[in-house]
Amino acid sequence: MPNPFDAYAPTKSNPWTLAKAGHLLRRTTFGPTRAELQAALRDGPEATATRLLHGTAPTADELATSEFTAGERSLPPGASATQLAAWWLGRILRTGHPLREKVTLFWHNHFATSVVKVQNARLMLGQYRLLHQHALGDFRALLTAMSTDPAMMVWLDATMSKKGVPNENYARELMELFSLGRGPYTEADVREAARAFTGYEVTPAGGKLNPRQHDGGPKTVLGRTGDFAADDIVKLCLDHPACPRFLVTKLLREFVSDTAVTPPAVVEPLAKRYRESGFDTAQLVETILRSEFFFAAANHRAKVKAPVEFAVGIVRGLGANVGPLRLAQQLENLGQQLFAPPSVKGWDGGPAWLNAQTLLGRQNLALALTEGESDLLHGATGNAEVVDRLLEVFLQHDVPAATRRGLIDYLDAAPKARRPVTWTAADAVAHRLRSVTHLVLALPEFQLA
Amino acid sequence: MTTTTTTTTTTTRRDFLHASTLLSFGATVPGFLGRSALAAQPSDKPGGRDTVLVVVQLTGGNDGLNTVIPRRDPLYLKHRPKIGIKPADALKLTDEFGLHPAMTGLAGLYADGKVAVVHGVGYPNPDQSHFRSMDIWHAASTAATLTDGWLGRGLKQKPLGSFHLSDGKEPSPLALAGATHRVPSIASLADYQLKVSATNAAERAAQKAVISGGANPTPSPPGDLLDFVRRTATTTYAGSDRLQALAKGNESKVPYPATGLATRLKLAAQLIDAGVGARVLYVSHENYDTHAGQGSATGAHANLLGDLSAAVTAFTRDVAARGHGDRVCLMTFSEFGRRAKENGSGGTDHGSGAPMLVVGGKVKAGLHGTHPSLETLDDGNLVHTTDFRHVYAALLDTWLGLDANAVLGPGFQPLAVV
Repeated sequence: MPNPFDAYAPTKSNPWTLAKAGHLLRRTTFGPTRAELQAALRDGPEATATRLLHGTAPTADELATSEFTAGERSLPPGASATQLAAWWLGRILRTGHPLREKVTLFWHNHFATSVVKVQNARLMLGQYRLLHQHALGDFRALLTAMSTDPAMMVWLDATMSKKGVPNENYARELMELFSLGRGPYTEADVREAARAFTGYEVTPAGGKLNPRQHDGGPKTVLGRTGDFAADDIVKLCLDHPACPRFLVTKLLREFVSDTAVTPPAVVEPLAKRYRESGFDTAQLVETILRSEFFFAAANHRAKVKAPVEFAVGIVRGLGANVGPLRLAQQLENLGQQLFAPPSVKGWDGGPAWLNAQTLLGRQNLALALTEGESDLLHGATGNAEVVDRLLEVFLQHDVPAATRRGLIDYLDAAPKARRPVTWTAADAVAHRLRSVTHLVLALPEFQLA
Repeated sequence: MTTTTTTTTTTTRRDFLHASTLLSFGATVPGFLGRSALAAQPSDKPGGRDTVLVVVQLTGGNDGLNTVIPRRDPLYLKHRPKIGIKPADALKLTDEFGLHPAMTGLAGLYADGKVAVVHGVGYPNPDQSHFRSMDIWHAASTAATLTDGWLGRGLKQKPLGSFHLSDGKEPSPLALAGATHRVPSIASLADYQLKVSATNAAERAAQKAVISGGANPTPSPPGDLLDFVRRTATTTYAGSDRLQALAKGNESKVPYPATGLATRLKLAAQLIDAGVGARVLYVSHENYDTHAGQGSATGAHANLLGDLSAAVTAFTRDVAARGHGDRVCLMTFSEFGRRAKENGSGGTDHGSGAPMLVVGGKVKAGLHGTHPSLETLDDGNLVHTTDFRHVYAALLDTWLGLDANAVLGPGFQPLAVV
């Protein structure tokens, strides 16, 4: 039996198509532009995946801008959650390495920490840097550093945990949400592990152990006994076989499908490789993105777009110029405020993104985003070409023929509609193009990645 | 659709959301547009066809021991020297029990005979994960895989009009999954409409026709993600215009506090009064996870309970003023209570066994059940004395007239709270 994680190579019967290029770009970026789709189609899966995995290094100008806007004067400790989210959205809109931002967002959702409780934008930025640094790096280093990340320490009350009076919050979520998932540990493991996390304090130089407040006595955790401190507990979790399995399952969900339940036969070999690679996340992500498994037709549009993907995808597809602050405000209503996940479990994602109110919010945001300038439709002649251009960029033509027909019919009939008397013919055309763009963005297929 | 996982990890809510419930949305017409919506008329007897249930979820694990305080038990202040409420400060319900001093509104409603307190509610082998325990309360089941909710299963029997009043961000609760329709989540009526670029009515109709048509062009395989989006879209578009029109001009005359919870309950009262057949409404109140610095008579937990009490009180007065007092019943719950002893951070860690409140004109007011012992603890946790499913049974069966047995399984006699 062929390994599902063997690299996909185009064949006559399974060729490289716009649909596959769109699939790869939707999962690795925040929505493709027309130029990116065409380049991917031209260059093939191998070169495109390589380009996405490495990204483009930021220019000196981009770096300077990002540093400046992240400076203490632009983002003081008391900066609002919206300003903070706007800072990240600004990076997401400009980045030459969208995959790295996307994986950073994945880890933000994994170690879901909210500024609402932390109440310090500097600490949140510090955690962002930690996530970004290790996003496509060594998960062991990330998990270890997280126990003394000041934002995390405030978020899960580690700063309050002292010898004799441990606080269980961090120890529990370390096992349940950050490394093992429910099942492999007991309540006794949580209580014992909590003792190992006593005595860590936030200092100007980061989280530090204060030995006088630390419970240095023997503890029994996950079947091992010793005078454990924080790093030892993290290592016990990393050494547990459930850990790579838990992470691989979560990353498959992120990159491949919201709904497919991946059988152990698929997870197990990847988990083994992840562990043997020293939890090298870049290697795992590369294996997934190049695989036959990834490109299987059943996995196309098998994810509900996160609000950030939905909104940024429209902005990028249109080539529109939208300020990140405005975007951040809008995203709050769609259920995804960066740096402010609803709980330590993060955003549920998948179908949970969509309910009546958030769906209406998405459609209304799409309408608002079509208000600005866009040259996407320049040069398109005729209603069919306009519709096809929109369907190419936003949906890679992945809609039923009847839907395409309905859009063309709408445009064909539109000139007969009554217009305000003050409108010129050009105003009426612009209005038609804007309207049909909104109708394309409102298609149910566009909700799916 | 899968029903089990074979790895060592049991299935969580997240799995549920990603995998198995896409099938459980059935018909596409929302309950409040169905026939039952037209039948709703005020009635003064519980169990009637038009009774209303409002569920208030306290997210994070409410500290029950500082909500309903055992004023006479010397162990109480011994367990909680820093955060305990002094017996004299508790708002007296009986000689033995009092409410947290921040809950003045609810204490008043108790005195008016509108509040039932159920002591020590929980379930066997309590789970101390927020997410797993919340799922158990939502599903009313401790099965490994939980795919639908207690209200959703009830709504499957009878498609009562139902709404999730959201803060705009939270996902639809598991409790409502499994209904024959997708229960709409609403944050604000003003935003509950589909905007289009049209400049006149004919064009608006044409654009909405394209959008609705796109949502239902061909039947897609049930259970598929696209099918899920189409169903959500179809229900939403069908309901939004109607709801806008119906709910216009029935603003509340009772003042509400300016909190998120109060805003959501105000919207609930509006919907109850709007004649859209609203029978089941679901609201959440966040931030009860008080691991540190929860305070005592004042402080973080006091603020939460104060907000809860003020919002529920305004809501209760509002629906009464609108003439629905006797057909509305509100219930609070949380995924667990907290540890009997305070921790070293001036807070409390995850526990079990906590009170539920049932509020309304027709509730059997007073104290129900037995308060858990503060002496015989299970690994530091209060041992529950009433299974929450007995309370659910009363609300499903006695109050809403549904078959509780079919929803909860056998063995859960209704507790006489309504």
